[in-house]
Formats: sequence, C-alpha cells, structure tokens
Amino acid sequence: MARYDTYTQSLSNARSMALAAFGASVKDTRGFDSNPAGLVGIRDWEFTTSTYSAASSGGFVFQGLAFGKRFLENEAVALQYSPGSLLEFVVPSGLTITTGDSVISLDQKVSYSEVFSFGFAHKFSDQLSVGLGGRVRTEKVTDTQYRIIPRVEIDTKDYSFTGVLADLGIMWRPLSYLSLSATGRNLLSFTGSELPSDFKYFSLPEKRIAEFAARYELNPQCSIAGMSSTKGYGALGYELLIPAWSFGFRNSLYFNKAESPFAYAFSVGAGWRYEFLELDVSYLRFINQDSHSGSFTVRSFDASKLNSIDLNPFTRDRLVLSLKAIFGNVRESLARIEGVEMLSAVYPSSYELFAFRPIGRVKVRNVSDKPIQAKASFYIEKYMDAPTETPSVYMLPGEEKEVPFNAVLNDQVKSVNKLTIREGNVYVSATPAEEYDDRFQIKVLIHGRNDWDGEVNSLRHFVTPDDPDVLRYTRDILLQYRDSLAAVPRELEQLVKARLLFNAFAGKLVYVGDPKQSSDYVQYPTETLTMRSGDCDDMTACFASLLSSVGISTAFIDVVPPQSPEKSHIYMMFDSGLDPKFGNRVSENPKRYVVRKNPKGQETIWLPIETTVITKGFDAAWSTGAQEYLEDVEINLGLIKGWVKVVDVN
Amino acid sequence: MKGIRSMIVFLMLMLTAAIAFGGEQITLQKAQGDVSVRAGVTETWMKAGAGDLLKPDATLKTGKHSSAVLLLHFANKKISLPPEVMLDISDIRELTQEELMLKLTMEKVRASSYEWKNKELNMPNTTIVHGPDISKRSDTLSAGGSEVGVLQLNGTRVLYENGFYSTSALKTIEVLRRYPSLGLKFENRLLIAQALEKSNLKSEALNDYVALSMSQSITKEQRELLQAKIAQLKK
Repeated sequence: MARYDTYTQSLSNARSMALAAFGASVKDTRGFDSNPAGLVGIRDWEFTTSTYSAASSGGFVFQGLAFGKRFLENEAVALQYSPGSLLEFVVPSGLTITTGDSVISLDQKVSYSEVFSFGFAHKFSDQLSVGLGGRVRTEKVTDTQYRIIPRVEIDTKDYSFTGVLADLGIMWRPLSYLSLSATGRNLLSFTGSELPSDFKYFSLPEKRIAEFAARYELNPQCSIAGMSSTKGYGALGYELLIPAWSFGFRNSLYFNKAESPFAYAFSVGAGWRYEFLELDVSYLRFINQDSHSGSFTVRSFDASKLNSIDLNPFTRDRLVLSLKAIFGNVRESLARIEGVEMLSAVYPSSYELFAFRPIGRVKVRNVSDKPIQAKASFYIEKYMDAPTETPSVYMLPGEEKEVPFNAVLNDQVKSVNKLTIREGNVYVSATPAEEYDDRFQIKVLIHGRNDWDGEVNSLRHFVTPDDPDVLRYTRDILLQYRDSLAAVPRELEQLVKARLLFNAFAGKLVYVGDPKQSSDYVQYPTETLTMRSGDCDDMTACFASLLSSVGISTAFIDVVPPQSPEKSHIYMMFDSGLDPKFGNRVSENPKRYVVRKNPKGQETIWLPIETTVITKGFDAAWSTGAQEYLEDVEINLGLIKGWVKVVDVN
Repeated sequence: MKGIRSMIVFLMLMLTAAIAFGGEQITLQKAQGDVSVRAGVTETWMKAGAGDLLKPDATLKTGKHSSAVLLLHFANKKISLPPEVMLDISDIRELTQEELMLKLTMEKVRASSYEWKNKELNMPNTTIVHGPDISKRSDTLSAGGSEVGVLQLNGTRVLYENGFYSTSALKTIEVLRRYPSLGLKFENRLLIAQALEKSNLKSEALNDYVALSMSQSITKEQRELLQAKIAQLKK
C-alpha cells in the first residue's frame, strides 16, 4: 500500500488559529485571509510574522510575514508572503531503477502553495466595511519519467498550475457588542497555466464557499465567536482579555462533518501586548490522532476535499508563534469628536461672559473598550492665553456625550475693530500624558469691539464705571461743586450729584445719529467723552457709566413697540436713593418718578432720564424720560405685555 | 348738487374723526368749584372747565366744596367726582383679568417690604431713611404729609363705585405703598379686597380678607364683616 507522506503544513497566525471562528474577529493583518474586510482595523503601518512547529518538522519553520497600511481615511491594504503555506506529497510509484550503486524511485511529488496573498478593505461607516482578498495558488506536479531503450534514462518534469483566487468579505457591526461577517471564497479565479489532463486528479477544487461568522461581546473583557460554512465546517471559540495585564486567552473547537469525530480539533492560545508589539502563541491538537498522522493511502487521497491548504485532512498538531508590530500612529485613541457646534459669536464688549457661559458644545464618543474620563478643551490663537478645559466626563465604552465648553478670552479680543473669522480648535483628551485624542477645527466669529447685538442686556457691557477716563471726568466735575454738595442733605446727595453730572455732561456733548447708520454700533464711554457726541445708545451707556462711577445705581429701559419695532428705543433711570415717603421732596407729581427696588433690595425712588435731549439739560431729560415711562409702562402697560424691559446695569 | 356733495363730505369727515378720536375719549362735562387738571408729568395744575377733553396722561383734581362730572364716550357713561378727589384719567378703564393678574404679581414681588402688610396697626415712631451710611445718617428730611394720598384714595373709591374694580385695586395698592400710614386704616385695606372680589379674583380677595382678619386691632363689627366675606368666598 502506498502512503502519502506530508512534509509541511501550516495555519497562518497564532491568534486566528486559537480563536478559530475568526471571520468576525479580524481587526488587522493577523489572519486577514479569514475576512479581508477586517483590515480596516489597521491604525497606520503594521507588520506581522509567524513561525510554527509541526509534529513532523522537529523544529520551527518560518510560516510567513505580512505588511499592512491604512491610507486615506477609510482604506487599508495588506500583502502577505507565506512560504510556509505549503502542502507537499510524495506519491510512491512502487517502481525503482537500480543503476550501478544508485537506486532511483520513480515517485511523483505534488505540492500546493499559496505563497502570496493580498487584501484591500474599505470602511463605509463605523458599522460596515467590505474587503477584497486574493491568493496566488500554485499547484505543481513533479513527474519522474524513464526510458530503457536504447539506454536507461531518467528524467523529471514539472507541471504546474498558477492562478489567483479572489475572496470577498463583509463585516457588519449592527450593535457595539455584536459583529457579523460573511466571506465568499474562490468567488473568482484567474488562471495562468494549467495542469495537463493526466494530472488533473491532483487539481485542488475551486468551488465557491461561503463562511459566516459572528462575534458577541458578553462584556468588554469576554467575547464568544462562532463560524459555519457551506462546506460543512465550522468552529466555536471564546476570548478572554485582562486589560490590566495586557493579556488575552483564547480557546476554540473545530467542527467538520467530514471528520470523525465531528468536533475534531481544539486549540488554545494566549496573547500579550506591550506598547506597539503583540505576541501570540497557540497550539492546535486533533482529537483523532490516527486520522491526522500525515500518511494516507493512494486510494484515500482526494484532492477535491482539500478546501484549504492550511487546514485539511493532512494538517497535524502544531504550535504557532506570531508577532505583530505597529508603526506610525501607534497610539490608540480612546475618544473621538463626532461634531462641534458654536453657540454664539464673540462680542468683544462682553467677552468675559464666555468664562462662565458655554461658547460651544462638542459631541464626544468613547471609541475604546473601557470606560474613560474625557475632557474637552477649546483654544483660539492670540485671543486666549491657554486652552480652556472642561471638567472630566465619565463615559462608558461606546457612549456618546455632548460636552459644553467655555472660553477664557484675553483682552486682545477688544482690539478687534471689525468682524473677523478665526479658527477655533476643540480637543478631546482621555489618555493621560498624551496631548489629545482627537481634534476638531471650527470657525469662530468675532465681532468688532463696538459691535452690539441689539439686546439691552448686552448694552450693560458698554458701561465702564471703572474706566480711568470716566473716573477722572466725574471726579473733576464733583470737585468743582464740592462746596455746594457739602450743603446738600445727605439723603438728596445722589439726586444732586446726578443732576450736576448730567448738566456738565450735557454742556459738552452733542446728540447725533449713529455714524455708521447702524443700530448695532455702540461707543464706549471714553470714546463718547472724547468725541463729545453719540446716539441714544452711546449717551445712555456713557451717562450710566458716569453715575455708576460715583456709586449711583442705574437701569436701562428697553422699549420695542409691537406695532412699530423699528422705533425701538433705550433710555435709562437712576436710583436717587430716597425712600418713597420722601417723594414730595422729588416732585409733587408722583408720575415723575418710579418706585422700585434697588440692587440692595430696598424700595427707592428712581428717575427716568431721556439722554437724547441732553442739550436741554437735566430737567428736560427727566421730564421727557418720565413722560415716556408714563406712556410706555403705566398707560400702555408695556412692562406686563413684554415690550418694555427694565434691566439693572449694576 | 354742489351743496349736497359738500355736506356729505363734511359729514364723512366728522364721522371719521369721531371714529378715530372717539374711541377712548373722556370729556369734563361739568365742573363746579375748584376743578383742576395736570397734564402728564408736569408739575403745574391748570384750571379745568366744562367741555375740556381729558387726555389719558392727565390727572383731575376737585377741591373742597367742588365737584365734576366726566363723560365717558367709549362707555356712554357718566362719572361724578365728589369734592377732594384726585383721579388719573388712565385709571378710568377696564383691565383684562390677565392684565390685572400680571400687575398684581409684579406688586406681590414688592409686597414683602410693605409696612402696612407686615406690621400691626400702629404708627412707626422712627423715620427710616435709606442710604449707604445708615449708622451715621441724621434725620434731616421729613416725610411729606399724606394729603395727596387721601385725595388719591378718594379717587380709587370713585373708580370702585363706578365699576372700575381692577384699576381701583391697583391704584389703592400703589397709594398705600407710597403712604404707608394710610394703610393703617381698615377701610382703605378693605377696599383692595373688595375690588379684587368684584374683579372675580376670588382667591386673591380671600387672601386679603384673611390677612385683614388676622389683625389684632380691628373692631368686632369689622371682624364679623370679614368672616362673612371669607365664608362666602370659601363656598
């Protein structure tokens, strides 16, 4: 009885051999021939090499190496050189020729190899990727031929088949803890040379096979996987990870209806990761050792049953060692920015607000398999001294959160004269000692320093009681009237000061329309005092600053008539400090003043002032303001109807 | 033909004017004795005579032994003003319940500082003067008398008697805030509750009746009146 002696057999990678049902677990160059779609998991450059020791070899044999590269954003490619992917047989003929001292046997040698393979993958989304793989298969028959007449001549002749077999793989992740895959093998074949018809018996099948696999994560540390195929083979396996030790353990069972028993092999394996290296080791053992001895009869050999050069009836127990190294962008990001939204443009007059109020929000996702503490930060060059960070946010694996961020701007922003667009950078960081995990650039609109959004609340930011020019102005005026102020009852002091300041202010300034013919331009008080002119917003902000600088509380009255909003107007009132029961000391007509609470919570008498009649003096400004307030608030009920707002400045 | 056409045009103009200006018109129909009017925020009282059109920002005052009659064109109604009344023309109107509630809410925000709501019916014996340096402040100002307040309260009664309950309630609250001493008088505070009740704000009226009934210095008759009102409103 002739026997087939096998020489070399191999399985491509220790991790894929240990987990077995690998189609849905491919995430790099290791075992990418199980499903090329998994190549999208490559981060940058990747190198893998494997070696094995088979029962027959008596030592370690170089199995192969692979290179992979991610390029563009969603593509990856890999090339594999596998000299160890080789299956060789010797077919004994039973004939020998003895010439002199040498005995020559007329055996045939048959070898199958898939030394070169490649893969390409494209990621359509985080959930779906597709890959295309190809294997260069060579089938070679070395036939020993002889002639006796006229003399003994022995000759060997090689016959070979070379072809490329194409595979297609799909990886779909409908849920964060579930991956599904489908791989179609030998979908296409491109043939070069063919074996002659005498040796067609040795041709390997090119039947199309479909493999289906699934991977389910019970938790981030434990996964189970299963695979089946249209050819009646499959596998079940599990993987345990111990992140603290960077250690993984794998175990699987192989099934095949053509084998006896059905569960005909098992494998165990372990992996260890350090920095950019990963080392895996696994051992495959066949349960029925007799059927995997490496020797078969001619009658039992059937090439049509060799669906895989790696794993077939001639494969024997083996120990495989693999090493993976990653280069380039080796650090794994734990968090990713999904989007950024700016909530507001920046008005230099109120830039300090963004230290407390969010300027934008960022959507962050935890893309790792463990919980993280993520922080976002925001930075605009020149207008911030340092990035402003958010507090840490705890995120579970796969979780997405919206994180608002602030901006501590510096006073350089007040030097912006006109509308400007700057690049803002948003960073998210979840890895200690690393700069950031992800970055996002977004346009930030910065208005000119005199720009105003039209909101009465924002006008308060143009009131600058601490401005040196304002302080100097008010002190100079009050100093002039020091003697007469000393004779005023203390209770009336605020009222008298307000009158003095207004009349001094009125004597030097001119009311004009907005120079830019725009309602959204406001002068700072120092500018109004320098230019000695302004419109109603400028005058109101300036006079409010003068009063505030001497401790007199003020409020803005914003009127937007519902029937004619284009006639909206802002005037002001100030706190005389007087108790309402002293109203007669202010005026016999209670319609000339308003009783309301001051910032200290005390009810006091406030006087409305219309600053645009500034040239007519305090009394005229007071009468006009009081009349406006009477009509807007008391008669037309603007305050309760919402088209009049009173906003405290201090 | 020409004359008829002119007459038609004249009548159309008169009708238009009447429609345009007759909406909220109030005229002083009759003035007897010392009747004066003050426009808007001015300080000066001017003598008023019959036929004068009274603007919404005006205030009307009748002196001692004087009276006036107002004609409300919009309601086709007359209001008689007895002597010693001060009345803001803008108060001669009806507010919607929503407007009244909003106004009351704004008043309630300030209510905690009302002396007459928080204290017993006794006169404060110190004058409280507000300002930045209370500890060193001397009492150099004297509070004005409440004569104006009395005139205004008489005006709020006129409003009440003529069915303008909402503005009657609001003006009474305002006057009592400016002149806290007037809030010590039971009838003045009762007017607010009654006006609110008439304005269909039963729960606000009930609150005021209850607050009044908790006062220690009301008479037995006054207490009985309040209890009857409370019982009636609780039904």
